[in-house]
Amino acid sequence: MSATLSPARSAPGPSPDAAPLIRMAGVGKTYHAAGGATVRALDGVDLDIADGAFVSVVGPSGCGKSTLLRMLAGLDRCEEGSLRLGGRDVRGPSGEVGVVFQAANLLPWMTVRENIRLPLRVGGRHAPAEARIDALLEVTGLADFGARYPYELSGGMQQRAGICRALVRDPRILLMDEPFGALDALTRERMNAELQRIWQTSGKTVLLITHSISEAIFLADQVVVMSPRPGRVLRVLEVPIPRPRSFDSIVSHPAYAGLAREIRALLTEPGDAP
Amino acid sequence: MSATALPAARTRRTELPSGIIAGGGLIVLLGLWEAAVHLWHLPGYILPDPAAVWRALWSGIAVSPASPLGWYRPLWGTFRNAALGFFIGSAVGLAAGSAMAESRTVERLLMPYAFALQCLPKVAIAPLIVIWFGFGDGSKIAIAALLALFPVMINSFTGLRAVEPERIDLMRALSASRIETYRLVKLPNAAPYIFAGLDMAVVYALLGTIVAEFLGAQEGMGVVITQAESVTDVAGVFAALIILGALGMALHGLVRALERRVVHWADRGKH
Ligand SMILES: Nc1ncnc2c1ncn2[C@@H]1O[C@H](COP(=O)(O)OP(=O)(O)OP(=O)(O)O)[C@@H](O)[C@H]1O
Ligand SMILES: [Mg+2]
Repeated sequence: MSATLSPARSAPGPSPDAAPLIRMAGVGKTYHAAGGATVRALDGVDLDIADGAFVSVVGPSGCGKSTLLRMLAGLDRCEEGSLRLGGRDVRGPSGEVGVVFQAANLLPWMTVRENIRLPLRVGGRHAPAEARIDALLEVTGLADFGARYPYELSGGMQQRAGICRALVRDPRILLMDEPFGALDALTRERMNAELQRIWQTSGKTVLLITHSISEAIFLADQVVVMSPRPGRVLRVLEVPIPRPRSFDSIVSHPAYAGLAREIRALLTEPGDAP
Repeated sequence: MSATALPAARTRRTELPSGIIAGGGLIVLLGLWEAAVHLWHLPGYILPDPAAVWRALWSGIAVSPASPLGWYRPLWGTFRNAALGFFIGSAVGLAAGSAMAESRTVERLLMPYAFALQCLPKVAIAPLIVIWFGFGDGSKIAIAALLALFPVMINSFTGLRAVEPERIDLMRALSASRIETYRLVKLPNAAPYIFAGLDMAVVYALLGTIVAEFLGAQEGMGVVITQAESVTDVAGVFAALIILGALGMALHGLVRALERRVVHWADRGKH
């Protein structure tokens, strides 16, 4: 059975002439700590993300990746620069954005199905979408686990349920903050492959924050490399590897090694000798 | 336990079931008690022997439920007032704890009083409440409710505030309203705390009811105890205490059983 989530896309990837779906211009962020100390987390971030693109963001720890994602999700206010989503300033959380949290963040008192249904029960009226939930469970291989509780699921399954929950409102944009960081390498690769498939069939725009260079390349149309704090965009690298990709084929692709080396070099750039 | 022990199991230390340990302890206790009574020739109005207590206990059990001489009527009276007080106190406690957790203003308004009252031995207020509510059921329920209120209020406040920020972020990202966040995230999240409060509250409600009955009542286990005491029927006092202990344990067990049903996910929810 093939469950379709949204109009399937024949040719994934950004269409070059369209206006960007997400536009960041001069985005900055300074945290004010309790003792009057300030932390400059982001500084002049410029980034355009095309509709339907898959963009990975890598950067040193503490460079403001989560901060940027929280602002896009409408959880933190953007007070410096402009952050536009579909041509409109981000003023708060919107139904256009689905967020996948780092540690699946499922509610333990709800079954998997109830967790996935949660976005439809809150924040205004939503059409019931049991068929859609079924399709999501099917696509993510959780069809037999809808009635289970999160503690009965493995970490990878929990994360898949988290992805279903982020997709159930059919948002245009999916924001993911290190969603697979806690998984073992093999499960992680399998989840990457699944995410690629979900993305290809759903036509969403995905922004994925990750610490894994191979994951970033495997999934993305573009890899955004950020500088150490205060975070800025160092480089946006195109990934010219055709889809669908597999981990076996990608490492042998001529562009892969060069890309990985370039990203690693950018990340360890200024005087980072141990 | 399996009857056919495996070779590997033999090396393990055998553990007696807790029922056997507790039962053995009881037999030893009763034996010491009996021995003490006979050794020191203690009169029945100081320490009755176990047999006398058993007779007093049984004489109240082996009667019709409607008999004024049995345990049933006073027990029912005490139970009913304690239960009513427990429900009222818990409901008010949950409401006040929720209001404090949701609003900093309410928190600043109520917290000083809550803290002051928490430090006050609340049974000391009992005589005042008897003056206001009279010697009827009202004062029993009021004191039980007052004692039940605080643990539920403090625990629900703590539990509602203890919710992980990631779960609040989730609800905010979904544009959930405050009520939705409270109902679907904060309240379930606080459930283990609230149940710990209810567990205390049920015992306190019983305590409050008995104290109120000591101060004056027509019927109830507190009345049974004061009446037995007035005729130095110490065996009767012991029997009443055993009944009360059993009631307290039953109520405690009821709350725990409810907790296991409602909060079945706790302790297993985190991976
Ligand atoms: N609420 C906050 N208050 C004060 N400082 C904060 C806050 N949140 C983040 N910061 C600071 O801002 C900087 C960027 O944090 P952020 O979480 O965005 O980094 P990150 O790139 O996601 O790091 P990591 O890869 O480790 O997750 C850090 O130095 C952090 O200490
Ligand atoms: Mg982060």
